Amino acid sequence: MKNILLACSAGMSTSMLVSKMEEAAQEQGIEANIWAVSQDKAIPDMEKADVLLIGPQMRFMKKKYSIKADEVGIPLDVIDPMSYGRVDGKAVLTRALELIENN
Amino acid sequence: MNSNSKFMDLLERVLMPIAEKLNNNRYLTALRDGFLVALPLIIFGSIFVVLANLPFLDQMISESAFAAYQEALGPASAATLSIMALFVIIGIGYKLVEHSGGEGIYGGVVALAAFLILTPQMVEETPGGIPTSALGAEGLFVGIITAFVAAELYYFFVKKDWTIKMPAGVPGAVTRSFSALFPIALSLTAFLIIRIIFTFTPFVTVQNFIYTVLQEPLTVLGGGLPATIVAVLLIQLFWFFGLHGQILVNSVLDPIWYTLNNQNLEAFQAGQELPNVVTKQFIDTFIVGIGGSGMTLAVILGIFLIGRSRQMKQVGKVSAPPGIFNVNEPIIFGLPIILNPLVLIPWLLAPVVVCVVVYYSMLTGLVPKPAGIIVPWTTPPLISGFLATGNAWQGAVLQLVSMFIVFVIWWPFLKVMDKQYYEQEQAEEAAATTETEKPSN
Repeated sequence: MKNILLACSAGMSTSMLVSKMEEAAQEQGIEANIWAVSQDKAIPDMEKADVLLIGPQMRFMKKKYSIKADEVGIPLDVIDPMSYGRVDGKAVLTRALELIENN
Repeated sequence: MNSNSKFMDLLERVLMPIAEKLNNNRYLTALRDGFLVALPLIIFGSIFVVLANLPFLDQMISESAFAAYQEALGPASAATLSIMALFVIIGIGYKLVEHSGGEGIYGGVVALAAFLILTPQMVEETPGGIPTSALGAEGLFVGIITAFVAAELYYFFVKKDWTIKMPAGVPGAVTRSFSALFPIALSLTAFLIIRIIFTFTPFVTVQNFIYTVLQEPLTVLGGGLPATIVAVLLIQLFWFFGLHGQILVNSVLDPIWYTLNNQNLEAFQAGQELPNVVTKQFIDTFIVGIGGSGMTLAVILGIFLIGRSRQMKQVGKVSAPPGIFNVNEPIIFGLPIILNPLVLIPWLLAPVVVCVVVYYSMLTGLVPKPAGIIVPWTTPPLISGFLATGNAWQGAVLQLVSMFIVFVIWWPFLKVMDKQYYEQEQAEEAAATTETEKPSN
């Protein structure tokens, strides 16, 4: 089971991406638990996650999140703006799995 | 082109640290969290203001029945929306102490008590009462500052560890109740002294002091058109670089916008002339609330009307459903709007033009001013405009007019962009067909 956490300002736009990523995971037969949170929820939720992906519009949070991510030992990245705009669940899922893999 | 991208790089390098500082500043974070704590209560109260002022109801039932109806619903907003400063204060105190690593709930109550100590405790010469206005619009600034100071002071004393040490074996809860005693007592004593000192000044109360020196000038400035245009331009500029401009600008201006909002609410409920045009809802409903920052719902409609290229159609399809609820990341990142020099002009110009149009149509009385009702930012346009103006159809019409303005400003730019994409797609298709034809030759 892969636990993928997404964060943006209110968790609204990332939640759209969540449903697309879930679809992509189902198609590929990957068992994944994917959820989106608002920016202040991301830090406590990192404990339950294998990777954190940040909405590009909140990329200024990366530095702050990195401290906690290092602490719990999970990778994090900013979502590619183009994939984000297209709500490309498959591309973002691939990136998430790649990050978990390389960790 | 090269110098252009260098300039973009430079701006990005300037804006990123500003965004980081604004979003991660501990006071601004606590302030944002404070409003977040108050928000469900504010919206609860707003719902009942809307219900108490349902259109045509006053004509359908007798005057006394309508008065009884309004009176029955009154406490809902009186206990929440009208005294919102209280909840913001608790939220700030809680979050600030929690962020420092202390027990948040003590931060919340110490902030609340400190604020009440500074608050006038007399209603029309009768002691023992607190005017609710002091807990609403008039109390917001002094409340925010008090919450900052009280929470920091409390945690400072906690860290000093001037607590009563309990022998081993005493239950943890007992020890904790005593450990909070010293820091709270010292912090609140400080506020009592501040209150007493102020009675010897011409201001008499701290509330009056903050109101005169800080709140009044800032709300007058923040309620004016020039400052509002600057704020709107900043939001657009941040977003152009793909940074969440709304959340950044809100974190600084929310105290002003909410204060102006509650001043209107007080007047609305008293049946008086509304004092302010620019309020929280002016921004949230009439500038942002038409599809999101930049009023992109009009842009999506434009795409549906003129889009010939696959890319444009695709962007429109993905962006429309969230756009109705004012979530617009798909179009901002997908069109793309970010770092796209072609759309910079309509992106900056359209909201400013709409801002001026909305401002003057409300100032002249063509459209009622926002009634102080907080409408959730995800409320679709037209509905939000109707609700925010205290159930006035003119509010919805104004949003329609704004959409039309945005649409007209964007039109030529969308045309050019669509043509570029279309020609690109045609060229790619032509290349692809010759590619597949080759082997058969």
